[in-house]
Amino acid sequence: MTAVILAAVVGALFALGTFLLLRRDLIRVVWGLAIISQAANVYLLAMGGLAKGTADSVPILAGHGDHVPQTADPLVQALVLTAIVIGFGMTAFALVLSYRVYEEHDTLDVSELGDRE
Amino acid sequence: MLIVLVAAVASLLLGRWPRVRIGVSLAGGAAYAVVVAAIDWYVVLAPDAPGAATYQVGDWPAPFGITLVVDGLSAFMLTMVAVLGIASLVFSTRVLPEIDRRSYYFPLFHFLALGVTGAFLTGDLFNLFVWFEVMLMASYIFVAYYGGPQHTRAAFWYVSLNLLASAVFLLGVGGIYATTGTLNMADLAQRLADPGAYGLEPAPVVGLFALLLSVFAIKAGLVPFQFWIPTAYRAAPPQISALLAGATKKVGIYAIIRLSFTVLADADVPVELAVPGVGTVVAGDSPLAFIGAVLFVMAAASILVGGIGAVGRDSIEGVLAYSSIGQVGFIALPVALAATTASAELRHLAVVAALVYALNHTLAKGLLFLAVGAIRSATGTSQLSDLGGLAGRSPPLAIGFFVGSLALVGIPPLSGFFGKFLVFDAAARAESAPLIVLLLTGSLLTIAYATRTWNRSFWGARTDAVEEASVDVVQVGVVLVLATAIVAVGVGFEPVYEFADAAASAALDSEAYVDAVDPVEPDDLGTGGGEH
Repeated sequence: MTAVILAAVVGALFALGTFLLLRRDLIRVVWGLAIISQAANVYLLAMGGLAKGTADSVPILAGHGDHVPQTADPLVQALVLTAIVIGFGMTAFALVLSYRVYEEHDTLDVSELGDRE
Repeated sequence: MLIVLVAAVASLLLGRWPRVRIGVSLAGGAAYAVVVAAIDWYVVLAPDAPGAATYQVGDWPAPFGITLVVDGLSAFMLTMVAVLGIASLVFSTRVLPEIDRRSYYFPLFHFLALGVTGAFLTGDLFNLFVWFEVMLMASYIFVAYYGGPQHTRAAFWYVSLNLLASAVFLLGVGGIYATTGTLNMADLAQRLADPGAYGLEPAPVVGLFALLLSVFAIKAGLVPFQFWIPTAYRAAPPQISALLAGATKKVGIYAIIRLSFTVLADADVPVELAVPGVGTVVAGDSPLAFIGAVLFVMAAASILVGGIGAVGRDSIEGVLAYSSIGQVGFIALPVALAATTASAELRHLAVVAALVYALNHTLAKGLLFLAVGAIRSATGTSQLSDLGGLAGRSPPLAIGFFVGSLALVGIPPLSGFFGKFLVFDAAARAESAPLIVLLLTGSLLTIAYATRTWNRSFWGARTDAVEEASVDVVQVGVVLVLATAIVAVGVGFEPVYEFADAAASAALDSEAYVDAVDPVEPDDLGTGGGEH
């Protein structure tokens, strides 16, 4: 059940992100990017396996002793954490950049940016 | 790698003292080159070289910890970056106005080098993603560096595209982890070669690698993912464009070669692609057949789009940016050939061809972009219509540019000749007439835009801009050193070929790669992973 919900959530996030990405407003484009990267994160987390964790899913702990707690796969969590940090930094940078675009072009409308050289 | 990081941090701290910072930056660049040379010697070129070396970060055994691997392929790529990096760094010290030396230019430069180095060395898919981001973050800022309206705009599209690509990369990585239970490339190769033993269902991997392929194609700038290149290259400072074309592009190529041949080559996945009305287009027992077919189309389109686009540009950077697209096509084509062919000999030859061509492209394109930088800082313009008669104004610069153009065209005894020759040789041995026609067309287009650029900017009557130009000696010196390197590679091609040969063997020999990284067998640790 969780799997279906998660799949639906990932799908919905991607759809929303793509929709925003195709808007004319730069800020919405940045929002779209942020949402898509969040969707990728959720997806990544789901890839760790939704089944209740067992000792088998943590080979590092399994290799180090007998008392392995029941736990989910920790690797995907580490991956997602890294991905979140990177995505966050990138989104901040994109926002600053869009502000700069606004300053220099006096508009946030993609179609007005055009190909002025 | 540590050297670059130290250089980056040191130059970050020394911002108050611009002269010291430049000194430290140059020392860092030199140290980097020395380390790369040492790696080349001890890992690959020395008589009893092991062929590969690994470092398990934190002493975790391979599939769990972070692995750094140097083998022939990585070493070959690193060497290209080191040569170009030094040239670009020396060039930077001359071209930047005083205010920029105080800014974050040099630290960023080193972070860019750090990202590229990391991407070449890592033995783990997720770390590849992280290093990509390190490299991209630095390159975003360089694209926006001049801060004019069109630069911010170019940077915004560049950032948006790459953020999207990063998300796709994550999807691919996540999917591969779920399918195979590992992200370590050696472990991945091992598992894919024998899916039965690990209880895997490897079929989805083909699709997931196609996702990754699109990401790498964006980095490499292959058609249909080429659209960001012209604006971004025009917006970045020329010496950075040289690095973007020479180094970050090669990261995309490297990733394609590494994943296709080292990781996927032995994968036991039958693929078949049938188009209604045409019949079976692609069939084979490994994902390589599929990747090869896709790469063929991309490479062919790149050669044509890049060549035709370059002929019509009105600024030198524009010509070079489009030519970059075309040249990457020339690199990707032998890779595609290697992926589709069944003969081991031809596959080896094709990979060597791709690597030699990549080396030539790095040197020649680096030289040309730096030459444009020299022209720009001398005359203040790079529009072809404003230039003319540069040959009389600065003969050394003209010689440098001439050598670079000829290397692109592929005239012996320059490095370009061997690149072109090997690519043609591979195509001829594959006995593919359309391929040869395509390569010929691409070469003719190269000749067309190279001569056009040359005629318009270096010959003819001197314009006002050229008349008032003051050429910087050091900048031209760097250009000439690179030109000498191109001639040297062409004349003394034997050792270079051996190096490329070793690199190709390393790329194709996934068993050696697996042995070097030595991932723990699943039997040692129970089942491990794959609980989905």
